[in-house]
Amino acid sequence: MMIKIIFTFFLFSLGVSNDQIPGEEQKRPIILKGGILHTVSTDVFEGYDILFSKGKIVRIEKNIMASPETDVYDVFGKHIIPGYIAPITRIGLVEIGLVKQTRDFAERGSFNPNVKANVSYNPDSDLIPITRSNGVLVVNSVPAGGRISGQSSVMMLDGWTWERATLKHPSGLHINWPSMRINYGANVKKSEKQQKEEIQKSIRDLDHMVRDVRAYFQRIKQRSRIAGERQKSDLRLESMIPFVVEKKKIFIHADEARQIKSAVEWAKKNDLKIIIVGGSDSWRLTDLLVKNNIPVVIDQVEKIPTRRFEPIHLPYKLPFLLKQAGVQFCLNTIIGYPNDGNIRNLPNEAMRAAAYGLDKSEALRSITLSTAEILGVDDMIGSLDIGKDATFFISETPPMEMNPKILMAFIQGNEVDLNNHQKMLYKKYQEKYRRQGQLNQ
Amino acid sequence: MQKILVLVFIPIFLFGQLKPVENLQKNAPRVWTLTNAMIHTSPGDFIKSGSIVIRNGKIEAVGRYIKSPKDSYEIDMQRAHIYAGFLETWLETKSYDSKSKSKRKHWDSKVRPDYRAVDNIEVKDKALKELRSLGFTTAHIAPDQGIFRGQTGVISLSDQLNSINSSVAQAIDFKYRAKKNREYPRSLLGVIAHIRQTFYDSDWYLKAQEIVQEYPSENEPISSNSSLESLGLSRALNKPFVFISSNENSSSRAINIVKEFNLSPWILGSGYEYRVLDYFDEVKPFFIMPINFPAKPNITKPMSDLQFSTRELKHWDMAPDNLFYLTNSEFDFSITSHGLKKKNDFRKNLQRIIERGLNKDIVLAALTTQPAEALGLEESFGKIAKGYNANLVVVDGDYFDHKSKVVSVWIDGEEIFISSKKGPSFLGTWSLKYKGTAYDLEIKDLLKGQTSIATNKIYSGTISYQGRKTDLYNIDIYESSISFSVDGASLDQKGTLTFNGDLTDSQIIGTGKGLSQESSPFQADRKNKDVEKDSNLEPASKLSVFKPEGTYGLIKKHQKPNAILINDATLWTCGPKGTLAEWDILFVDGKIEQVAPDITVPQGSAILIEGAGKHVTPGLIDCHSHSAASSINEGTQYITSEVRMRDVLDPTDINIYRQLGGGLTTANVLHGSANPIGGQNAVIKLRWGSNTNQLLFKNAPEGIKFALGENVKQANWGGTNRYPQTRMGVEQVMRDAFRAALDYKHANDNYMRNAKYQRTKIPPRRDLELDAIVEILEGERLVHCHSYRQDEIIMLTRVAEDFGFKIATFQHVLEGYKVADRLAEHGAGASTFSDWWQYKYEVIDAIPYNGSMMVKSNVLVSFNSDDDELARRLNTEAAKAIQYGNLDPNEALKLVTINPAKQLKIDKYVGSLEPKKDADFVIWDGEPLSIYSKVEETWIDGIRYYSQKDNKLLEERDAELRSNIIQKILSTKGPSTFSSSKKSSSMHSGHKCDILDNTGVYDD
Repeated sequence: MMIKIIFTFFLFSLGVSNDQIPGEEQKRPIILKGGILHTVSTDVFEGYDILFSKGKIVRIEKNIMASPETDVYDVFGKHIIPGYIAPITRIGLVEIGLVKQTRDFAERGSFNPNVKANVSYNPDSDLIPITRSNGVLVVNSVPAGGRISGQSSVMMLDGWTWERATLKHPSGLHINWPSMRINYGANVKKSEKQQKEEIQKSIRDLDHMVRDVRAYFQRIKQRSRIAGERQKSDLRLESMIPFVVEKKKIFIHADEARQIKSAVEWAKKNDLKIIIVGGSDSWRLTDLLVKNNIPVVIDQVEKIPTRRFEPIHLPYKLPFLLKQAGVQFCLNTIIGYPNDGNIRNLPNEAMRAAAYGLDKSEALRSITLSTAEILGVDDMIGSLDIGKDATFFISETPPMEMNPKILMAFIQGNEVDLNNHQKMLYKKYQEKYRRQGQLNQ
Repeated sequence: MQKILVLVFIPIFLFGQLKPVENLQKNAPRVWTLTNAMIHTSPGDFIKSGSIVIRNGKIEAVGRYIKSPKDSYEIDMQRAHIYAGFLETWLETKSYDSKSKSKRKHWDSKVRPDYRAVDNIEVKDKALKELRSLGFTTAHIAPDQGIFRGQTGVISLSDQLNSINSSVAQAIDFKYRAKKNREYPRSLLGVIAHIRQTFYDSDWYLKAQEIVQEYPSENEPISSNSSLESLGLSRALNKPFVFISSNENSSSRAINIVKEFNLSPWILGSGYEYRVLDYFDEVKPFFIMPINFPAKPNITKPMSDLQFSTRELKHWDMAPDNLFYLTNSEFDFSITSHGLKKKNDFRKNLQRIIERGLNKDIVLAALTTQPAEALGLEESFGKIAKGYNANLVVVDGDYFDHKSKVVSVWIDGEEIFISSKKGPSFLGTWSLKYKGTAYDLEIKDLLKGQTSIATNKIYSGTISYQGRKTDLYNIDIYESSISFSVDGASLDQKGTLTFNGDLTDSQIIGTGKGLSQESSPFQADRKNKDVEKDSNLEPASKLSVFKPEGTYGLIKKHQKPNAILINDATLWTCGPKGTLAEWDILFVDGKIEQVAPDITVPQGSAILIEGAGKHVTPGLIDCHSHSAASSINEGTQYITSEVRMRDVLDPTDINIYRQLGGGLTTANVLHGSANPIGGQNAVIKLRWGSNTNQLLFKNAPEGIKFALGENVKQANWGGTNRYPQTRMGVEQVMRDAFRAALDYKHANDNYMRNAKYQRTKIPPRRDLELDAIVEILEGERLVHCHSYRQDEIIMLTRVAEDFGFKIATFQHVLEGYKVADRLAEHGAGASTFSDWWQYKYEVIDAIPYNGSMMVKSNVLVSFNSDDDELARRLNTEAAKAIQYGNLDPNEALKLVTINPAKQLKIDKYVGSLEPKKDADFVIWDGEPLSIYSKVEETWIDGIRYYSQKDNKLLEERDAELRSNIIQKILSTKGPSTFSSSKKSSSMHSGHKCDILDNTGVYDD
């Protein structure tokens, strides 16, 4: 009877919202006994117990005694791994790349520092259960487009509403750095000089924007008694105060060497805290990045080199090169059509990096704790440590191994549903062929 | 037909005399003797001090000891150099009016073989002056637009622009400026198909006309078409066809057409010919070569070199040697000033070519005798000899020293003044004596180093007296006279002194005037001549040509060993033997010879590879690729089965090499998905470093791309109203096309069966579009159909069954799992993505279990890339079928080896490690399905195209090469405004075919 009800339920669903029920708030403490704990922050602990209560990790020890109100799961020989974190995604902001009605990631105009990702995050998006069933439990949802795209929010991939799903907002302001490329093509109308002037202007505009925000801040602080002198409101400028005045993180999307260099110089000049996103050329500027303590979010490891003349495996080696040079970094899958659904392949990016020089433990870190640090949420997630959120999953297989078998996942202690639309369709059509006696298993 | 012939060849400029006289009679004498000249009679021959007698536009005599005829007037040429007038071999003039549509012409206004450039001559005064100032007296003109642009002609560059030959060659271009957004053809694919169809049409038209004339009662008359008639005539007369090429690939495309239609080829060069000389061996075209070399790349700023690929940088260094390469390969060519933004660069570039080592006589020949011969004018143009036209270039020095000046040109015996002779030089220091006092005078050239032939020099000067230097002003130099002023106070004189003098040998003599306005004589003797030093000669490039050009290119062809033995390896045969641990495999002559537990061969007879710990798999096969192609979609019409991917292959695509590095050896290069019936695909082997045609997988059956769903009904972009707009319409389009093909086949068969028809009836017109569809119906052309939803998948299987053929593969087929039973029953293969989803509405039900589920339902399944990057890790894509659906690893590997081979019907040759198959294999350092394993070596046909070791060497070689060129550029003087490259971008984006000929059509 029960099965039937579920069946009808999803036949009527149109695929615009997912069919998984959010996890129930953790009511009772849970002990996972005898697992292999991949803490990431320290070592791998074999045969340890982990106790979490009210969504937080309370103890990590051998042989924790369970009180009567505690649920105990035997996870002997199973792996406990912090939830993977995807630093740049459009989860919740887009459902189907080519269907305009489902796209909510790019506001009109080029100057949108005030728009916030989490307010338009659709907690019933199908991408959520599909992504989390591969162990990606937390994502940063990021607006796109224009020069300043907006503010990103770190979202947990479970919850009834966007408010419940928000782990941190804002996690950063996103700026697309102007292209520094001079186009020498035969059909280009603008001269090299004109092009250079345009580039300089774009950067000057960003300088002026910083100045305007500081001036605005100063004026609203000094409340004038004269009515006419009162600073009129400006949502855009106001929204940037945390980033310009309080120096919260600004994510600069830049791949090319000249862009990265110019962004770093801009940040230095204006005394801002930036993170480079993309960073294809970051290996060429490691000294600059280390000196200024600027982390890099590597957009996609599994990609072709930017340039014809670059070594064919350069993108695969990029994480290793940054590690060697001491640049702080984390990994990402690429966003944008047609890639927005591929966030579930985040572990593959890490494994590919591990195949090309990076330590496996470092590769795991680059999609967990390193990401949490760069997003500024390492006080809550990214590793198995006492006091942090119980956001992790239990797996039959160790991390950084192909064909993972994920058994259970918790987000802030709530057990989440690992089923998804695709698994349900799989089951549905298995039934079709089973009935036909055709399924040759 | 013969009558038309004669008409075409009548020289037209005689008619000039038929015009009534306006005003008074003008009869200037036309008999001259030019004496005391350095006469370059023909390349390699000269008369040091000779004379030329000109009578009525013709050369009457030339030689050293010639008596000038009594009625001729002698002109002392003062030792000037005289060359035969140059022939400009490419001058673009007005095209046909594309708006004029005549029923008597081809339906497409871009196809105008009937249009003659000479009928609409328009050369701007400025262009005419520029050409003459370079020494050109005759020009080969061509229409400037269109695919079949029309007929080229020859004109004289006299003021009358007389036509000398009204039809020389047909000009064909692969590019054109599209007027309307949806105008066919829009892509290179379509242009080439269009060219081929037009040739077939003209053949058919001539034949049909003949039959109609002979059997008027048996046939309906066909409407006359002057375009097709002209084209047919040009071919019948074996006129040259000039192909306008823009890079090394277009050369190969031109050669393919030349061979198919047996044309006599000319090529308007792109400057890249040195890279692909072997392309031309077979047909030996005549080249018209522009010399617009790329400017120096601007890389002085840090990191600015990053936007130039190594091949662009190399081209900067090597382009001026292009003609040298052509000469070494014994190709005939002419040199044109076409393509130069600044015509002044023409002679500078000629000088560079000569400095780099090309014989001056060859350059001269390329301006005179070579083009004269090619244009059929060798009897009267290109030489200074008796009976030749009196077309001459008079230069005050060696023409190939760009500082000497072209003084005049003679066209048809009439002199046209160009510029004054170079005057004597005043530059240097002089001792000036004026009113009994001696001063030091110095004259300098302000713009030294930047002066060019045309610009007037600007001078500065000083005069020194008792250690004081004073600047001169108002310096004016005209030929051999000079005037300047100086403040008299500094010379202990009153007022302003003005000097006027003339130079004779090394003395200036003249008068100076002071405040009194009384002239006193002065004299200046040369102390030191400021010799303008010749800069060092520019050496030829030391770089060697790579194949293909740029990083990872080969210097010489790969060696093919006789035999290769791998021992004790794990062989993933993908055949009935499954996976064999510690077995041996022997390859002989590019084929698999033996697979056995232990193979021994005589020592030294085979390359031995120690296989212990290594894994060997068949070369991976990608059943859906868009790599190695310059054009993907001809999206203008809903059926474009006439276009062929083989026409647009690009062997220089770096992704070929990158994918070899991922173990890929074979790819199915498909047309895009813009139309229900798209273009013909090309199955290729990734033979890096080969020619276009050598990429083709010879034994692969022909195929074609179909497409269904959102793309073909144009759902994802606005503003189009092309039929169909629904999946209902898509089905009808398919049925309609097959019905039309049946009708076409019926007509053809009917004609072929009946001998009388063949004699008396107009033959059915050959239609390349329907040919391909008939081949589908006959089971000779495999259908690869882009599809997503189950409804459309079933639909097409039913349509195919109604017409009696099978669909070879459904591509993408993301809902294949829903109708696996139907796919299996029909016998279609499924070539799918491992785990793509979400990007468009029709993939809403895509699941990563699709592949494994279809495998388990007995469908022949492969995993493809449809992406430049994915294609180099198909092994881990295959492994996803283990993660999703728990497929056996052997079965998973088959998704990218034997299964796609079967789908493409090439499993007889590739796809598994079994005897007699091609030696296409990959050596891995670990399990092939593991992300941690790497390709050690990739072999195709028994040739190693990739190895980790070689890759490292190449990377080192290319890094060094690059830094050397950059050093050279940085140490080369001169301005840099790089603007030649067609492919200006070296930034690549490899995502899902998003560069689709501007049709905005995505294929995924």
